[in-house]
Amino acid sequence: MPAKLKELAESLVAFGKVNGADEVEISILDGYEFSVDVRLGKIENLVEAGSRSLGLRVIKDKKTAFASSSDLSKETLEHLVKNAIKRAMLASRDEFSRLPALSKKRVDISSLKLYDPEIPNLDSAKKIALATETEKIALEDKRITNSHGSSFETREIRIIFANSNGFLEEYKQTFCGLSLGLLAGETDNQVEDYWSSSKLHFKELESPEEVARKAVERTVRQIKPRKIKTQKVPVIFEPTMTSWLLGFLFACVSGVSIYQKTSFLVDKLGKRIGNERVTVYDDGLMPGRLGTRPFDAEGVPSQKTLVVDKGMLKNYLCNTYAARKLKLKSTGSSTGTGVSPGNFYLQAGKISPEKIVSSLDKGLILIRTIGHGLNPVTGDISRGAFGLWVEEGEIVYPVSEITISGNLGEILNNIEVVGNDLDFRSPLAGPTIKVKELTVAGQ
Amino acid sequence: MKNPPSLVFEDHFNISLGDLQKILNISLSRGGDFSEIYLEYKIYNFINMEEDIIKETAESISLGLGIRVLAGEKTGYGYTNDLSFAKIKKAALTAASIASSRTLRETSPLSPVRFHHNFYPVLESPHKESLEKKISLVKETYHSAQNFDQKIKKVKVSLLDHAQFVTILNSEGLKVSDVRPLMKMACLAIAEKKNKREAGFSGGGGRVGMEYFSSDLTPKEIGQDAASEALELLEAALPPAGEMPVVLAPGHSGVLVHEAVGHLLEADFNRKKTSIFWNKMGKKVGSSQVTIYDDPTIPHFRGSYNIDDEGTIPKKTLLIEKGKMAGLLQDRLSAKLMRRPLTGHGRRQDYSCIPIPRMSNTYIDRGKHSPDEIIKSVKKGFYAHKFLGGQVEDSGKFTFSVSSGYLIENGKLTAPVKQATLIGTNIEILKNIEMIGSDLKYGLQTGTCGKEGQAAPVTDGCPTIKISRMTVGGQ
Repeated sequence: MPAKLKELAESLVAFGKVNGADEVEISILDGYEFSVDVRLGKIENLVEAGSRSLGLRVIKDKKTAFASSSDLSKETLEHLVKNAIKRAMLASRDEFSRLPALSKKRVDISSLKLYDPEIPNLDSAKKIALATETEKIALEDKRITNSHGSSFETREIRIIFANSNGFLEEYKQTFCGLSLGLLAGETDNQVEDYWSSSKLHFKELESPEEVARKAVERTVRQIKPRKIKTQKVPVIFEPTMTSWLLGFLFACVSGVSIYQKTSFLVDKLGKRIGNERVTVYDDGLMPGRLGTRPFDAEGVPSQKTLVVDKGMLKNYLCNTYAARKLKLKSTGSSTGTGVSPGNFYLQAGKISPEKIVSSLDKGLILIRTIGHGLNPVTGDISRGAFGLWVEEGEIVYPVSEITISGNLGEILNNIEVVGNDLDFRSPLAGPTIKVKELTVAGQ
Repeated sequence: MKNPPSLVFEDHFNISLGDLQKILNISLSRGGDFSEIYLEYKIYNFINMEEDIIKETAESISLGLGIRVLAGEKTGYGYTNDLSFAKIKKAALTAASIASSRTLRETSPLSPVRFHHNFYPVLESPHKESLEKKISLVKETYHSAQNFDQKIKKVKVSLLDHAQFVTILNSEGLKVSDVRPLMKMACLAIAEKKNKREAGFSGGGGRVGMEYFSSDLTPKEIGQDAASEALELLEAALPPAGEMPVVLAPGHSGVLVHEAVGHLLEADFNRKKTSIFWNKMGKKVGSSQVTIYDDPTIPHFRGSYNIDDEGTIPKKTLLIEKGKMAGLLQDRLSAKLMRRPLTGHGRRQDYSCIPIPRMSNTYIDRGKHSPDEIIKSVKKGFYAHKFLGGQVEDSGKFTFSVSSGYLIENGKLTAPVKQATLIGTNIEILKNIEMIGSDLKYGLQTGTCGKEGQAAPVTDGCPTIKISRMTVGGQ
């Protein structure tokens, strides 16, 4: 069956055309996953499964309908296509609804290094041992009082994409991840944190020792937190926190939120949105990175897009529909009706994170946030936070039960230092940054 | 009752009961204690309206089964959406591999369980209603928001409905099925004035049929509610920052119960001793005014179910009684390991997920104070009106994001404020609950809770509540 998935995609495109659709798009995902959770030395969960799903879009008279199914029987799929054509007639005519034209650009899929043949060949015992070993190393530290467990997972996916403009491509991708969550302190004064490493290639994954060491370090540094008074102070964002902030920026430069007017960056193209330290790229073509892909969910080739150039907003990230609405070009960012980042990153600066901390007279290192509280319409941020208090360049104690509040627009204008520690740990990546001032609410 | 749940898997899964019994046997072939097959068929419809047009509709079919084997504290799980016997057998062997015991358990012959309750009788399952009818509901909501005020510049409305057919079979001989309808209308309205832009949100639904939108909550009301929130936020200031008395509005503030208390009373976190509550059963953990329940049996609520995703008939479960910890939300695994009775709270997102203890409809029970009396008692404080959501850690530290609220000055609600975060530790907040109102209400029937990557529809509720001190994050 798997070998025939490409033919299935092609035949459904033809079936849709024959049944009256003007345009048809089919995507098929064929995946395999393995995951093991180990806690306090014992296996808790072991999951292994293969699964497939198919997504389709039909356009008739500029009216659109979508469908998807995990049942890949011919009968179900043909029924879904026919029904989608019928449903499309009930949608409104939309001049902007059209599949992307076939691009002349071709991405050399093998150069993207998306597939690691070692991953399908890892045996179960080794995978279980990786999780077990990671937790065991961490539990040797006497300050750790309990564990959320360690997990190791692998995934292999094959993506097939076809449309009625003649696009027909497929690619395979692997993924592996090792993570560990820990607790320290007694029940009523507990602190927790985790660390994880995710890669497309097994040999690039952090070792059990590294994951354990970081998870321990991140957890124990929060023991015996204090509360602080409400005040405005400089805030250092650790790389994981800069990445979180970039996730919010991504949502605000998404062409979909722009044409929907749900972003504070509407009408800001070509204008200054941050200071000269802010340069942001979205690059879907970096070999072997988590956000890399040859083409997006509409078959548009990936590219490297300059989003913010020294504070100037240069590009919104668009799918085909948003691009047409905004009279721009698709940036190969489509997920269908939405957008997703390739590798979306803040360009690194020259200063080491240690130096950024040692030059801080008084302020907060932001290490974790929890909750919601991001409003793309205004750029307002308000989140529960955990941090480390710094005085005279030294970390003096952890703080908790605080909130940070500010505005993304203001933060982008108030970044005083950008660190040199950019590491592509996730599709959203940023180095350590120092922001001039944020409100930290406590007692 | 109308529309009693019927046994349905035979319609969608071309597998005989004999073969399923064989699969249960195969899954115990390595010596597991318990095995289970979860069959799920889900039809899902979606309509999206924005920029004055019906942008698109979507239809989705999900069909698959998951096989679980328990061996002591261990769980083996395999799932497949390829329903050939060979693939199902492979999933069974995957799940079986978790066990390695020489004593093999026999499976009991399957005997169908029929139950006589139905918490979601509907005139017609929403997936069978015509798309035209649903589109007209969407348009009505849209225009209601759009026409509410000239300052409303943008509206987005979506309507989701699904019908979920589940059948659960296990090695103890259980065979039980349920059909669960679910509808959710969501409306986002954006108001603009000068250079200010604010968003308001409203919605409704639950395990209901189309009749809900004429009898319980009309599209017109949903649209107006979203629009008026957006307009009010245009005039709202940023909240003050610091510690102060906080009054929680009835209904929407239920998210606080869900986050601050509910999650940490899920049995798995207590069995693993990671929850702050694990050593507090029967002990006083909060003000004696506080009584909290989780009730999966409230008719038509989003979080309700006739059986949980392990086939257990659910019970209204007392969690906190007059300030004392009284119960936990159990699934099969935790109940067995903790030697506690089942409560019917084993839920899963879909067939690819292992069931875990989850909340359903969680609420603080009514108290004796009138809401007016509560507001009057605050000289200077914060009134939290509507919430975006919240998050909690096992240590009890939580946050809530308030989308709109008011200042309380000299016992009166005064200036509207927006975008605040409340933060605290659950035990402290439970102790600091000073007054509870008599006005129990439930939040919007639109909530989804996430845990370990699994989404589950939930509802929460509470009366007006006064917390003597809480940290408000503002500017």
